[in-house]
Amino acid sequence: MARDPKPTDQKLSHTAAMILQALDAGFVYGFSIMEMTGLPSGTVYPAMRRLERDALIRSQWERQSIADAEQRPPRKYYKLTAAGKSTLESSRKRYPLLERLIPSEEARTV
Amino acid sequence: MKPSPRNLITHLRSLSHSGLLLGASLLVPANQRAEWRREWRGELWHVQQSCAPGGACGWQDERAMAAFCLGAFQDALCIRRSNFENKPFFAQSSGTPGRCLLALLTMLAAAYALALWLPGVAAERGLWPRKVSPNLVFIERATSHSLSAPSITPRQFRSWEGRRQKYFDAFAFFSVSAEQVASPSTGLHRKANTALNVARASANLFTLLGLSVHLTNPLLPDAMPEIVLSERTWKTQFAADPHIAGTIVRFVDRSARVAGVAPDGSLALPGRVDAWEFPPSAGQLDPPFGYVVAHLTDEGKAEMWANRVAINASQPDGTEDDLLGIAIEEWRPSPINLYLFAVLLGLLALPAITTVSLGESSLDSQQTSWWRKLVRWSFFSTKIGLLFPIIYFVSFDLAYGDRSLGREGAIYIQLISTFSLCLFGMRWVLKDQRQRCPVCVRTVCHPAHVGQASWTFLDWNGTEMVCMGGHTMLHVPSLPTSWFGSQRWLYLDTSWQFLFAGSTRPIP
Repeated sequence: MARDPKPTDQKLSHTAAMILQALDAGFVYGFSIMEMTGLPSGTVYPAMRRLERDALIRSQWERQSIADAEQRPPRKYYKLTAAGKSTLESSRKRYPLLERLIPSEEARTV
Repeated sequence: MKPSPRNLITHLRSLSHSGLLLGASLLVPANQRAEWRREWRGELWHVQQSCAPGGACGWQDERAMAAFCLGAFQDALCIRRSNFENKPFFAQSSGTPGRCLLALLTMLAAAYALALWLPGVAAERGLWPRKVSPNLVFIERATSHSLSAPSITPRQFRSWEGRRQKYFDAFAFFSVSAEQVASPSTGLHRKANTALNVARASANLFTLLGLSVHLTNPLLPDAMPEIVLSERTWKTQFAADPHIAGTIVRFVDRSARVAGVAPDGSLALPGRVDAWEFPPSAGQLDPPFGYVVAHLTDEGKAEMWANRVAINASQPDGTEDDLLGIAIEEWRPSPINLYLFAVLLGLLALPAITTVSLGESSLDSQQTSWWRKLVRWSFFSTKIGLLFPIIYFVSFDLAYGDRSLGREGAIYIQLISTFSLCLFGMRWVLKDQRQRCPVCVRTVCHPAHVGQASWTFLDWNGTEMVCMGGHTMLHVPSLPTSWFGSQRWLYLDTSWQFLFAGSTRPIP
């Protein structure tokens, strides 16, 4: 059950901030976040559950037809919410190296 | 078509990964399980494609895939915990001292109930009040090793028994051998053609050991020998027949009359014994070797040192023999003494695995009131007060729950389990206490790791945890330094209140 969005100036752990940054950078499912951040599955997935519980991210299942066409199981995609984006902005101030560690999608395409 | 080894390996790998995910999914609440499995299966497929695109992969990739699957357990536990915390009772009581004490009390009740229910433990408990006389010793050859094998001949026993001794006033002999029961007689419930470990003993063995077992037969020279069954044998071989007394049991070369049943473990002599047989005369004891139990006189007791006494005995043929008397108390230490000894060892070893400090220093000069300190210390004492009875009963359940282990095995298990439980139990008590807010005694939570030692050499790196009541924040350094050697508390002032307003749980 998602809770009300929190004020944007609240503190995030370094791990949670990295995951938000990775999602913002276009890594939208668990395994890609693991590969990008180097964090193990036992850290990434529970952290994403908590972020989703706190309404900072939301998840959506891929359409079955797409997965069938590619002959693979469907996967769950995650996306930042508005509250998540605001919280990420605050976290970047607290962890200035975050953006250099995982450059955002726009920065990578330039 | 025969499957290729590569296909077989791929199939086995896939099976093991699915098995791990299936196992982890059992931890997820049932209403979320299907979706959770679907997500992890989907992710696993991509992991497998990434690590082993063509089915073949190296050891590193295998390890990466296994690590990925093992992470599912942490995720499942996280969901489970989250579900519990969402329930009002768990949300309110999470990390409270009351919940901790309730959990310890439940464990104590369970361990005690198990001790009452397990027959082996109940039998052993029944023996606790019975004290073995400190004057009783086993006699063995000095070259023997801790009664592992009998070493005294019946001839030696008869020779000592027949002479007046300065250091001993009574001797008893017994030897254990497997005896085939030839045919069923009146014991209708008894399984046919079974072998029993029969201890052939001199008639005074029970009396010497202080057991009030009276043989009905006057042990006349031409009378039939009497046997006393162990409780286990009586139950398993004779279906706990209440009219067993007087039943004739026929061995291959003789018959014996059942005189009674002795409670399990009541004698606790070397070797596993199913029945004790008492031939009418000591002359009928004819095994090559046996054990001798002797009662020391006061003079003999004075010669004992460290529960042992060296004996120099003349053989019937005139030669001298070096023997050793070992106190029965030492061979059969009381469970209480074993427990106390193992607890002492555990407490001595504790500083090797954890710091014994309670980590109460703070970053500022603020101190908690005496009342708060009293509450904190009372909670700490109560935890220890509950931990030690738990250790006692759990170690007892482990040691004596399975009677097939025998007495020696039970002693080792009790020692090891008490030591381990004391060591790790006390470690938990100290760690738990270090993570309890000095103001409200609730556990601090939501650990946030800040910095990495290898990246920020002189900057702060460690873990921060916060009290759910908004009283304190705990800083635990990753690497103790000269300026930040141990954990410190930061008392939060009113400017932090906005973090906790309207919520009992800050975001991660």
